[in-house]
Amino acid sequence: MAGSADIVIGIPSFNNARTIGHVVRAVQAGLAKYFPELKAVLVNSDGGSRDGTMDVVRSTRIEDQAAILVHHRIDPVPIIATPYEGIPGKGSAFRAVFEIADALNAKACAVVDSDLRSITPEWVELLLKPVLRGEAEFVAPLYHRHKFDGTITNSIVYPLTRALYGRRVRQPIGGDFGFSGKLARFYLEKDVWETDVARFGIDIWMTTTAVANNFKISQSYLGAKIHDTKDPGADLSAMLYQVVSAAFGLMEAYPDVWKKVQGSEPVRTYGFQYAVGLEQVNVNVQRMLGIFREGLRNLREIWTAVLGQGDFGDVESLGGAGVDAFRFPRGLWSRIIYDYALAYHRKRLPAEHLIKSLTPLYLGRTASFVLEMADADQSGAEEEIERLCEEFEKNKEYLLNNWK
Amino acid sequence: MQDFLTLVIEPFREVFAGFKRFAPNMLAMLTILIGGLVFARIVRVLLRKALTALSFDAWSDRMGFTVMMRKGDLWTKPTEAVVRVVFWFLVIFTIMIGLGALKVHAVDNLVAQFFLYLPRVFSAVLILVIGYVAAGFLSRTVLIALVNNGYHYAKLLAEAVRLLLIVLILAMALEQLQVAPNIVVAAFSIIFGGIVIALAIAFGAGGIEAARRMIEKGAAEKVEGKDDIQHL
Repeated sequence: MAGSADIVIGIPSFNNARTIGHVVRAVQAGLAKYFPELKAVLVNSDGGSRDGTMDVVRSTRIEDQAAILVHHRIDPVPIIATPYEGIPGKGSAFRAVFEIADALNAKACAVVDSDLRSITPEWVELLLKPVLRGEAEFVAPLYHRHKFDGTITNSIVYPLTRALYGRRVRQPIGGDFGFSGKLARFYLEKDVWETDVARFGIDIWMTTTAVANNFKISQSYLGAKIHDTKDPGADLSAMLYQVVSAAFGLMEAYPDVWKKVQGSEPVRTYGFQYAVGLEQVNVNVQRMLGIFREGLRNLREIWTAVLGQGDFGDVESLGGAGVDAFRFPRGLWSRIIYDYALAYHRKRLPAEHLIKSLTPLYLGRTASFVLEMADADQSGAEEEIERLCEEFEKNKEYLLNNWK
Repeated sequence: MQDFLTLVIEPFREVFAGFKRFAPNMLAMLTILIGGLVFARIVRVLLRKALTALSFDAWSDRMGFTVMMRKGDLWTKPTEAVVRVVFWFLVIFTIMIGLGALKVHAVDNLVAQFFLYLPRVFSAVLILVIGYVAAGFLSRTVLIALVNNGYHYAKLLAEAVRLLLIVLILAMALEQLQVAPNIVVAAFSIIFGGIVIALAIAFGAGGIEAARRMIEKGAAEKVEGKDDIQHL
């Protein structure tokens, strides 16, 4: 590929014609407003959409430049809209973006989801500027979310990655990242593009790979993350399997890194933080507890094999509590996640069975969090997550002692 | 008189001649048996040492074979189980080859039939082993999926799936062994059909209230139990 570019922005897509136009406009506005002097290329890496997603991308332009307060002349951003090759999945879509960034010798890159409704031109600046200034090589997103949203991140992925790798990246699986061209090339060199990383788990893989290989990490506050309504029938246990197996798989890849880490340290945060009005989130705690109790009744053999008699006994003792009194202790939860990581490491069960059997326990912990935080505000919920992270850091010794 | 002596001695001569013809075969059989047994014992010792050195027991634990054996009520260590299977296979193999060395027509037929039957035995064992593992895997898949969706009787349904699969596998193995194939097919059809009809009647008639509760609960959850939480 001839030519070069300073910036490459990738948007992976699959049947996102309804929402991708807004994302493309926000990216074009961000580039025009904050990086008018730099050469930028927008890449839409598509997974074979049949709803005209790529046509929408190609035809989207900012009609009224004055409306975004741009007074200089702006050339349209070159757009590459192309179907990616390889295993279907977000990872393969990102690989195509990395390859184009490498071919164009880009200095800074960003990837943003195609179903975002809350993206603004400022996201482009916040994800790219720390990289272009040389202050960061990887920029993770920091969103303002409802206290009950993102519970897999809040109760598993964030505490686990923080305790393992020692960096407080609050949204390790946010999905919208900024990174240097050097890091894009580093990603490309990794031999993972025929594995599950190509299908799912690319977000946690990107974050962990950057952290574990000592790239300069930062995060940028992007405001609220509102995206297109996901399929309500999406299977929670399948989501849990994808995310948790990716995190556990990375533990296998970097044991020499995380075994040395003690405690954690904050990462530099960019952006002006402000409160955002968020929609009410309805949570059916009764249903969550019902599934937890079904787990207790039916998954006893699996849970005993994974958790051991001691922790299983503690879990069993929670079964009798009524809804109002139900509390899932933080320490027990952190040990459960470590027990599952150890069972995954020892291949106690097929990975999918193992991690899907975590679902009722996860729902029990989530129900407890919802009950405890019913009257708390956002900062109160954040403090509770902080306490959970401290438990994970405190109990890391348990993981280290049993990892053989 | 001479003729009489000849008549008396001739049978002895024939027996002796027969023995002379048979003795090398007998010797060959004994040599094969002794050699085979010694060989089987050597293999047993070497295999045990090799599997121990390769931590076969730990590997079996990780791969779930130990759990599978325990479920099948086999309580020896995986290493010991493999060693015993190989040893007894070699012993039986040696006996069959040894019997073949006798060159006795009836025994030859038996040995030939044994070796012709061997592939069927292997196929049946393979069907049983793979089937047992598959039944366990599918049953656990059903169990976890039902629990995660909040269904009652998850274990009961998972065990029913396992039972149906094991019946199917046993029928397949017996059919492979050609053990009264007509009876096996008929018995399988009766048992399999019987289980399905019994479940249908139990759920449709005996469990009509439970069925109604489950359907009503599902419908009620859809209306009342709105869950907007985004887990990711």
